[in-house]
Amino acid sequence: MKKLNKLIVGLAFVIGLVSCESLDVEPYGFYSDENFYNTVEDAEASVLYAYDALTLVSYAPITYYLTELASDNANVKPSEGADAQAFVNWEVTSQNQLLFQYYRCAYIAVNRANAVIENVPGKGFNEADEKRLMGEAYFLRAWNNFNIVRAFGLAPIQKSLIDRLDETTASLPADMQEVYSFIIDDLTTAIDFLEVNRVVGRADKVAAEALMAKVYLFAASAKESGVPKYDALTESVDDMYAKAAEYAGAVLTGQSEYYFDTDLQNIYDNTVPNGPEHIFIMSMDRSGTQEGDYSKLSKYFIPWIGGSAVYLKNADGSLTKTHDGWSVFQTSNELAAAYEPADKRFSELFVSEVFDAAGNSLGTVSNGVVEYPFCRKYIDPNYEGDKTSTRPYLLRYSDVQLIYAEAAADESGLAEYNQIRRRAGVEELPSLAGLLKADFRKLVVEERQRELAFEGDRLWDLRRTNTVQQNVTKAAGLSPEKVAFFPIPQREIDLNPNIN
Amino acid sequence: MNKNTYLFKLLFTCFFALSTSILFAQNFVVKGLVKSESGETLPGVNIVVKGTATGAITDLDGNYVIKLDDSNATLIFSFIGFKAQEIPVNGKNLINVTLSQEVEGLDEVVVVGYGSVKKSDLTGAVSSVKMDNIPMKPSNSIDGLLQGQSAGVQVTTSSDNPGASSTIRIRGGSSLRGGNDPLVVVDGFPIGYAGDLKQISPSDIASMEILKDASASAIYGSRGANGVIMITTKKGSKNTTEITVSQQSTVSEFTSELNLWRDPVLMARLSNENRINGGFVPLYIGAENANGVYYPSVNELSSGSWPYYTEWDDVVFRNPVSNNTNIAVRSQNEKTQFSLSGTYFTDEGVYIEDDYEKLNANLNVIHKVYDKLTVGTNVIFSKGNRNNNGGLAYWRNPVFPVYIDNDPTKGYYMAGVQDYSHPIALTENKTNTSDFLDFIGSAFAEAQVLPSLKLKSQVNYKFGRSINDYYNPKIYTQDGTFNNGSGGIKNWESKETVSETFLTYDKLFAEKHQFTAMGGFSYQYYTSRSSDLKAYDFLNESLGNENLAAGDPEKQSVSNSLTEIVMYSWLGRLNYTYNDKYLATFTMRADGSSKFGPNNQWAMFPSGALGWKMHHEDFIKNLNVFDELKLRGSFGISGNQGISPYLINSRYGQDQYYVDGRWQTAIGPGYVVDWESHTGKKIWGGIPNPDLRWETTRQLNIGTDMAFFNRRLRVIFDYYNKYTTDLLRERLLSPSSSYDRMWVNDGEIKNRGIELTFDSDIVNTKDWGVTAALILSKNKNEVVSLGDKLASGLNTDAITGMQYEFSGSQIEAFRAIPNILAVGQPVNVFYGYTVDGIIQSEEEGLAAGLDGKLAQAGEFRYVDLNEDGTIDEDDRAVIGDPNPDLIASLNMNVRYKNFDLAMFFNGSFGQDILNTKAFDQPSNMPLRWTLDNQTNDYPSLRDGRNYYMSDWFIQNGSYLRLQNVSLGYNINELNLSWFKRGRVYLNATNLFTITDFEGYDPEIGTDGIYWGGYPKLRKWTLGVELTF
Repeated sequence: MKKLNKLIVGLAFVIGLVSCESLDVEPYGFYSDENFYNTVEDAEASVLYAYDALTLVSYAPITYYLTELASDNANVKPSEGADAQAFVNWEVTSQNQLLFQYYRCAYIAVNRANAVIENVPGKGFNEADEKRLMGEAYFLRAWNNFNIVRAFGLAPIQKSLIDRLDETTASLPADMQEVYSFIIDDLTTAIDFLEVNRVVGRADKVAAEALMAKVYLFAASAKESGVPKYDALTESVDDMYAKAAEYAGAVLTGQSEYYFDTDLQNIYDNTVPNGPEHIFIMSMDRSGTQEGDYSKLSKYFIPWIGGSAVYLKNADGSLTKTHDGWSVFQTSNELAAAYEPADKRFSELFVSEVFDAAGNSLGTVSNGVVEYPFCRKYIDPNYEGDKTSTRPYLLRYSDVQLIYAEAAADESGLAEYNQIRRRAGVEELPSLAGLLKADFRKLVVEERQRELAFEGDRLWDLRRTNTVQQNVTKAAGLSPEKVAFFPIPQREIDLNPNIN
Repeated sequence: MNKNTYLFKLLFTCFFALSTSILFAQNFVVKGLVKSESGETLPGVNIVVKGTATGAITDLDGNYVIKLDDSNATLIFSFIGFKAQEIPVNGKNLINVTLSQEVEGLDEVVVVGYGSVKKSDLTGAVSSVKMDNIPMKPSNSIDGLLQGQSAGVQVTTSSDNPGASSTIRIRGGSSLRGGNDPLVVVDGFPIGYAGDLKQISPSDIASMEILKDASASAIYGSRGANGVIMITTKKGSKNTTEITVSQQSTVSEFTSELNLWRDPVLMARLSNENRINGGFVPLYIGAENANGVYYPSVNELSSGSWPYYTEWDDVVFRNPVSNNTNIAVRSQNEKTQFSLSGTYFTDEGVYIEDDYEKLNANLNVIHKVYDKLTVGTNVIFSKGNRNNNGGLAYWRNPVFPVYIDNDPTKGYYMAGVQDYSHPIALTENKTNTSDFLDFIGSAFAEAQVLPSLKLKSQVNYKFGRSINDYYNPKIYTQDGTFNNGSGGIKNWESKETVSETFLTYDKLFAEKHQFTAMGGFSYQYYTSRSSDLKAYDFLNESLGNENLAAGDPEKQSVSNSLTEIVMYSWLGRLNYTYNDKYLATFTMRADGSSKFGPNNQWAMFPSGALGWKMHHEDFIKNLNVFDELKLRGSFGISGNQGISPYLINSRYGQDQYYVDGRWQTAIGPGYVVDWESHTGKKIWGGIPNPDLRWETTRQLNIGTDMAFFNRRLRVIFDYYNKYTTDLLRERLLSPSSSYDRMWVNDGEIKNRGIELTFDSDIVNTKDWGVTAALILSKNKNEVVSLGDKLASGLNTDAITGMQYEFSGSQIEAFRAIPNILAVGQPVNVFYGYTVDGIIQSEEEGLAAGLDGKLAQAGEFRYVDLNEDGTIDEDDRAVIGDPNPDLIASLNMNVRYKNFDLAMFFNGSFGQDILNTKAFDQPSNMPLRWTLDNQTNDYPSLRDGRNYYMSDWFIQNGSYLRLQNVSLGYNINELNLSWFKRGRVYLNATNLFTITDFEGYDPEIGTDGIYWGGYPKLRKWTLGVELTF
C-alpha cells in the first residue's frame, strides 16, 4: 500500500507539473497588439503603414473612377466592366464593387491612423518624434475622412482603433457639423504638431494647412450653394471662406519650401517627385514587387497604341518614351473644349500625336491611331513593363493658389489666379471690376478644371458648387441628394445595423 | 522538453519503488504433442503456465517440454488462428493437446483509445483490419491499403505520383474549413492527421482499427470528430526468433491509350477550323505566327514534306519500376519481445527522372523488467528524397521535333522565345529536389500496481524535417526567364511531444459484474517552423541554387515562420459488463487547446454506449439461428480543431512604403489573409476572435453484430447520424471596420448513413477455403446552415431561393467556380447552366433566349430555366453532386492447399464528375458540329468561345473496379531447420474498371473535378517473402 501511495503522490506531482504550464501561446513571427508599438521605430513603421494604405490598388486608381469618370472630364473604355460604366452613366448603386473598394480602403487607412493615435502616446518616446508621428497620423485620418465625406456624405466616423467584433458596427454621425468638426480638429492638431519638413511621400505642416484650406473651402461653398445636409454646418459661409483663405494664405506666404513652378512640364516630370509644387505626393516606385508598391497609373490614361513603346514630344522638342496603355480614362470632348487653343495645359499636357524613337510620327488622334487626346501627367519614361513610378499628385501648390483665389475672391486672389493663367499662356483677368465674388469664384472653379484635370478633384468641385447636374449630361435629371453623395455600399448596410 | 525529462525521472523512480523479485524452483516436467483437429502437428505453439511468465513452445514436430514448480499448475496453449486452451496439469507428466481452429473474430482483441477490448465486448462502431488478411499490394503509405477494408471509410487515391497521398474520409466530411482527415494514432501516439503517412512502412504494421462512432472516438476529444485510425505495429511473438525477408518488384503501365493527336493533319485542319471560326488567323498556314514560331501548312503535313513528328508521351513517360525490400528480425522470449525491421523503397514516377526513394527502420522492444513492470520502446526512422520532375508536356505539339533538325547536337527545338514547356530542356536544366527525414520515438512503462490496477505512462516524440532545393534556369522556365534565374531553398521542420499517463482498473465482482475503469491525462506540444531563402538574377548559373549569393544581393528574399500549439487533456472511460450480457461504456475527455480563445479554451467531450449480447439470452438461443446477436447504441460528442493557431490573436500586416527614395518597412493593423479568386483583390483580416472554439459533432450510432451458421456468416450493420455545429468559418464584416473577414463558429452540417458488412467463410476444409466479404456504405451529407445570410455573404438562387456560397477556385475555361456549398444540399454540388443540345440554326438560338455569337448554329443550347426570355446568371441551378451514393467493396479469398487467390473489387456509385475535358480532345474534336454534321452532341469548334459552366460537362462517375488480384503460393512443409516458411505471389492492381465516365479514370478528388492528365497506372508486382 505504501508503494501505491508513493505512486499516487508521484503521479499527482507529474500531473500538477504539466498542468501549471499555461495554454497561452505567444505569437511568433508576426506582429500584433501584444508585441508592437514598443519603440519609436515601431511607431514610425506604423505611420508608414497608414501612408501605405493610400497606395492600395483598390484605392489610389479607384479615386479617378469617382472623381474623373463621374465628372465631365472623362469617359470610360466601352469594354470596361459594368461597375466602371456606372460612374460615367451615373448609375452607381450600393452594389458597385469599385465604390465598395474605395469606401473600404478609406476606412483601412483611417484604422491604421487610429492605431498610431491610440498606441503612440504615453510610450515615452522623444517628444519631437511623438509629435511628428502623431501629427502625420491626425493628418492622414483627416485626409481619409475628407475623402469619405466628399464621396458618401454621412458615413460612420471611426474615432478609435477597431480590434473587437462589437466595434465593427459604428453609427452614423449626427450631422455634417460632427463630421467637419472632427476633421478640422484633427487638422488643427496636425498643424500644431507638425513642422515644415519635406519628405517625398509624407505630409508635413504645409500639407496639413493646405488640406485645412481645402476642407474649409469645400464646406463654405457647399453650404453656400445649398448642397444637401451642409446647412447643418454652424459656421457662416463667410467665416469658412475666410478660414480657407487664412490657411491657404499660410501655405502661400508662410513658408519657402514649396512654391510656384514656372515650368509646366516640370511639375509632371516623373524624375522629380520633390518639385517645388509637390506639397503632398503619393510615393510609389517601379522597383516595388507588387502593384501598389509600384504604380500602373499611366496604363489607365494612355490609350492602347499597338502594344509597343511610343515617344511623346516635349515642349522643347525632345522625346519622352512611354509604354502604351489600357484606354480606361478617355478624355472627354467637354474637357478638351474647356481649354482655349493657346492653353499650354492642353497643348503640352495632352497628347494627340505619338512618335517613334527617331521622331517620326506614328499616328495622331485625327488619323485614329491615338484613340483620344490623352493626359500625360502620369508618364514614367523609365518604366519596366507595366511597372512605373507614376504618382498621384495629392496636394499641389497651384491647387492651394486657386483655393486662396476662390476663398479670398479679392485682388490678392486675382494675382494667384492670374499667375496660373500666365503660366498656361492664356489671357489674364485684368481686374475684378464688374464681377461679383460669386462670378469670380465661378471662374476659379472653371480654372481648376483646366489646371487640375485628372488630378482627382473635378467631381468634388462640381459637388461643392452644386453644379453636377449642369455639367454632367448623364446626371442632369438626378436629385440633389443623388448627385451630392454616392450610396453607402450594400455590405455596410447589410452588416451594420447601427447605420439605418 | 524539460517537462519530459522530469516525467522520465519520476516514472523510473516509481518503478524502482515497485521492484520485487521472485525465485522459483522448477522441478516438475510435463511433455506432450500438440495437434490440430485435422491431425497435423503444430510447431510454434505457445505454452504458458497460467499466472506466471514461464513458458515454452512446440518444436517443429509439435512436441514440447516444460518444467514446472507446481504439479497442480494450469497450462495455456495458444497459437495464432486457434482457440487457446487451458489444461490443468493435475500431476500428469504427459499431456497431448488438440487445438481447434479459431472461429473468426470472437475473442480477438481490438485496440481502442487508451486500451483494448475484446471484439465481442465492443459497444461502439469499430472496424478492425488485420494486415495479414489483406493482400500485400504495393503501396508507399498505409492510407491506400485501407481502401475497401472497412465500412464507412472512403479512401480516394487520385494520383499515381511517387509518394502521392490518399484522401481518407470516415463517414463523410463533417467540416468545411476545419479539416476532414481522421486522426492517426500509432501504438498509442497520436501522430497527426491521415493523408500522408509516409513515415510508416506498410510491412511493419500488424493491424489498423478504425474508430467511427462517438463512443469510440470521443476519447480523442477535440480531434476525434473525423474518426480515428489506430495503428498497431508488428511486435516480436511466437516465442522464437524469426528473420523475415520480403521483396516486392512492381512494374506499371497505363491502363489505357493516351488521348493525344496521332494524326497531325487532322489536328492542323481542326485547329485551323477552330481559329477561323473564332475570327483568328489560322496557325497551320506555313508561316510564322506572332511569336515567331513556324507552323507547317496542312499541305506540308499531308504531303509528308514536313519532316517532324514527335510522340511526346514516348519522350516524357516510361514504364516505371518500383522496389520494396523489407528485412525484419522478430523475437520473443519470456521477458522480451523484440522487433527490428528495415525497409528500402524506391519508386519511379511515370515521368522520366521523377523519382522517389525511402528508407525506413523500425525498432520495437518490450521487456518485462519485473513480474509487474513492463517497459518498451518503439522507434521509427524514415528518410527519403524525391526528384520532382512531374508535369512534363506530354501534350506538346507533335509537329515540333525534340531537337533542332532532329539532331541532339544542335540543341533543343524551342517553339518561340516564350516556350517554357520543353520537357527535355526542363528535365536537363531544372532542379527541384526534396529531402525529408522523420523520426518517431516512444517509450512506455506499464506497472501492475495492484492485482487489478495498472498504470501506464507513455512519452512520445516526433521530429520531421524537409528541405526543398530548386533552381529555374534563365531560359526554358518562365520564372527563370522573368527573374533572370531563380533559385531557392525551403526548409521545414516540426517537433511534437505527447506525454500520456493513465490508470486502468479491471475487476470482476461476484462473477457477474465486470468493471474496467480508465483515467488519465495527456499533454501535447507541437511546433513547426519554416524558412525560405530565395535569390534572383543570377550572375552565373552553373551552380544553380548551390550558391544563392550569386543572385543579385538586392533581390534576395528571406522569410520564416513558427507555429506553436499546446494542448492538455483529462480523459476517462468506464466499461461495465453484467453477466456477459449487458454492456455499457462511458467516456469523457476534457481538452484545453491554445488554438482557442480565452473565453472557450476548455471543452468537454462525453460519450455513452450500451450493448446487449442477445445471443446469451435463452429466448434467442432457443431460436437456434444466431450464433451472435448483439445490439449496440451510442451517443457522444467529439470535436474538430483543425484550423491554424493564432486566430485568437490580433495580427498585423507588413508592407513596404517608398519614402524619400528608399523602401521602408510599414507595419500595422490588418493583414492580407487571401486574394479574391476572380479579381485578385486583397482580402483583409487580422481582427482577433477571443470567442473562437472547436467544431462540435454529436453522433448517434445504432448497430448490430450478427453471426449465423456456426459463425460462418457474420453481418455487421450500423446506422449513424452525425450532426456538426459551430463550423469554423469566416464571416464578413462591415467595410467601415476596415476588415473584410473574421473567423467565427457558424454553420451546421450533417451526415447520415448506413454501413453493412457481410463476412463469410463459404468453404473451410483442410485443402479448400473460400471467404468473401462484402462491404457497403451509404452516406448522405447535407449542409444545414451556413450562418447568417448577410454576415456570410451568401448568394441566393434566383429560382429556388436556395442560399449558397462558392467553394474552391475558379476554373479558367468557365470563368466560374463550379462547386458550391448550399443550404439543404450536399457539400460541393455543381452549380451552373443546363444544356439541352446544340443550336441548329440562328433562329433557334434567338428563340432560346441567346444572342450574339452564343445564338449561332453549333453553339450550346442553354436552357432558360426561369423562363424570362434571356439566358443569364439567374438560369443557373444545381446540376450535379460529386458525392457518391454508395461505396462498395468485395474481398474474395480462395485457398487450395498451398495456393491462395485474393480478389478485391471496389466500386463507388452515384457520384457526378465535372469533366473539364469533355470537349477539345483528339477523341471528340472530330465529332464537332459542322454544317455537314449537324450533331446534337458536340458544339462547333470556335476558338475564344466563352464556355458557361453547364451540365454538358457533368458525367456519371460511377465505377466498379477490379482493384486488386493476388495469387500466392505458400511454402511451409520443407522441414528444414533453417527455413520456416515462405510465400511467393503475383499481384496486379487496377486490372479493369467498368464505368461510363469518358475521362481516363473516375477516381478523382472529393470536389469531383476531372482535369484530364494521363491514365491511371496498372501495376504488376512479383513478391517473395521468406521466414527463417
